[in-house]
Amino acid sequence: MQSNKLGWFLLAPTLVVLFFFGVIPFFYVVWLAFHQWNPFAVNPEIVFNGAANFRQLVFDQGFLASLGVTIAFVFFAVTTELIIGYALAQAFMRDFPGKAFFRTIHTLPLIMAPIIVGSIWKLMTTPSIGIIPQFLDNWFGYDLNIGQSALAAFTVTVIMDVWHWTPLVTLTMIAALVSLPPDPFEQAQIDGANKRQIFWHITLPMIRPAILATVFIRLMDALRTVDEVLMLTGGGPGSATRYLGVHIFKEVFPKTNYGYGSAVSVIVLYLTIVVCWLLFVALIAPRNKKG
Amino acid sequence: MVAGGRAQFDGVTLRGVTESTPPSNFVSDVLAPKFEELTGIRVEIETTSWDQMYDKAIKDMEAGTGIYDMVYLEQDIVYAYLARDFLVDVTAALQEHPDLQAPGYDEANFTTFADNFRGENGGLYGTPMEAFIKVYLYRTDLFEDEEIRAAFQEQTGRELEPAKTHEEYAEIAEFFTRWGQEHDLDLWGTTAQAHTGHPASWYEYFESVAPTYGVYDWGIKPDQNYAASVENGGEMNSDEAKAAMTWWLSMRDLAPPESVQSTWTEVATTFAAGRAAQGLVYGENAAWIATDDSQSRVVGEVGVAMPPLEDGVMEDAESGEGYIGYYDGGAFGMPVTSNNQDAALLFMQFMALPEVQEDWAIAGSRITLNSTYDAPRVQEVDAELGGYYTMLRDDGRLFKGAPEYPFHRQLIEATAPIFYQILTGDLEPGEGLDQMAAKSEEELTSLGYRTN
Repeated sequence: MQSNKLGWFLLAPTLVVLFFFGVIPFFYVVWLAFHQWNPFAVNPEIVFNGAANFRQLVFDQGFLASLGVTIAFVFFAVTTELIIGYALAQAFMRDFPGKAFFRTIHTLPLIMAPIIVGSIWKLMTTPSIGIIPQFLDNWFGYDLNIGQSALAAFTVTVIMDVWHWTPLVTLTMIAALVSLPPDPFEQAQIDGANKRQIFWHITLPMIRPAILATVFIRLMDALRTVDEVLMLTGGGPGSATRYLGVHIFKEVFPKTNYGYGSAVSVIVLYLTIVVCWLLFVALIAPRNKKG
Repeated sequence: MVAGGRAQFDGVTLRGVTESTPPSNFVSDVLAPKFEELTGIRVEIETTSWDQMYDKAIKDMEAGTGIYDMVYLEQDIVYAYLARDFLVDVTAALQEHPDLQAPGYDEANFTTFADNFRGENGGLYGTPMEAFIKVYLYRTDLFEDEEIRAAFQEQTGRELEPAKTHEEYAEIAEFFTRWGQEHDLDLWGTTAQAHTGHPASWYEYFESVAPTYGVYDWGIKPDQNYAASVENGGEMNSDEAKAAMTWWLSMRDLAPPESVQSTWTEVATTFAAGRAAQGLVYGENAAWIATDDSQSRVVGEVGVAMPPLEDGVMEDAESGEGYIGYYDGGAFGMPVTSNNQDAALLFMQFMALPEVQEDWAIAGSRITLNSTYDAPRVQEVDAELGGYYTMLRDDGRLFKGAPEYPFHRQLIEATAPIFYQILTGDLEPGEGLDQMAAKSEEELTSLGYRTN
């Protein structure tokens, strides 16, 4: 009983902060989603409009296009981060000269604010002055201009995200790999299993919870990417990199379309929950059932 | 300066938010510390990006949090802020508190640009702190080079002079882009503020290019129920607007490759780096481009001219029916939610004192007081700049700021995605402008300005 009280007492500050900065804003946004509110309209008042914002959203070509490019962005970014992150984790599990140094360097992008990452990549990719277009031109004769080519802009935003967040995946993979017991691996080797079989039948199933947790985190982050992309491309060229976060930002802030922007935010949150739930059902639930 | 004595303002800290521009940076770096030295009132000016500046100021004033005592009022947003009663009438406030009137502050000394910040009652709702025109800059070293002049004469049959028409401008742009290629130089014929994901490109077209074709006020007609399409009486998709867009896109193609990622800042940097022979550049950058060798490679090699025009546009401007380009600028306004209004009033007057103007005019290429034109250093730089300040004084009346609409950013954001598609080539200029006109009318109907 005593420990329960102490527990609640210690938790209280966090719960209070969460209530004011998480719960109240969340319900405020949900409430706004059912209203029309643009402070620079002829009528700047908040007016209840039922589900009109959601109805509009279903037919909003801008939103649908944004949803499409976001799904593509999330798929390519998160998949690449998982593959490279796992490969790097495996590399860091082995001893090699300068390992500590490389491990430190490799985590540096993680400590950078997204807006800084966007600025750095903007400097690196601006035609004529950026180091990347310069080398691509010198070595391959390829003219990289992310202000002109939709594919190039999309690819660069994916690479930027991979550069920024792969270290997080690597660290979680290292944590998962380090915690694996040696016995199953020794048994498998004695039974004559090759590396591929060991990876597929032992390593992967055993680190699946860690992979799933990492995918959840990265998926949620990637779905709400704003700062980096806004700084790098502004959502362009055209709407090629106008991901959902950027779309919501432009609806809510410059356009001050608070009601509709809130509706888009609620739908994006709903989609995020659904995707995470589907992943959970597909990857974790069958395992628990077997267990 | 502090008529009531310092004690009244002990411990007061004024907070302001503004866009990071040369004039604003001067306020933050020079005027704020100087004011603190004189009055003991600390001034913290947050200089941030254009988007963030609006975002922070609007949220603060909308929510009434009172974080900011001063907000940057760009000329194009002031009508929206006035419509929402966000701002304090400075004229009225000073009349109510004559004890706060600073010696040397005189509203009558402001240039006519200050009229942009007056309300319907004639009161001033902000202290003008930057004012400049978007000018046609050209490289005098190139335009006066004998070899280049001879080559130009040979190819075009005319003398190389700053362009007066769009055809001449295009001819010069084509010549210099070709010249750069033939001589292996990093030189292009023109600048272009043509970012494919930032409204800077929208602004360049609607505020600097379309007016030179006779399409004013974004092609929207407030007296015709805010019509934008030709069908309803607007001009956003008129033949002139389409010709302007086609011309501008062709200039974009002759500009350095970074132009598709350039806002107003990068355009100035491109010109300062010596990468363009001519261009339309925000005047706030003109002085540093022409005089600051720590930032510019074209010091002493910059000339200023009027933008190229179609027939009839100058006559429209002279008669007051039109204008030839963009007159931009801003002021510092005080939100009604400010908790330190008296102290803010003092600082806003301090910014308008004649004695702080001279260095500021040089640092930010801006003039907001009539008396500043006579300052010795301003006249000196004016000569180096080929008469930029003289043009601002004498011909400023031919330029115009953004139209008096309270829905600037809303309309821009609604139409910008279509505009960017024109830039990327996904839409033809004609089709794109048709769609933009329709979208504008739809948005204005949704906002309640246009009635069906």
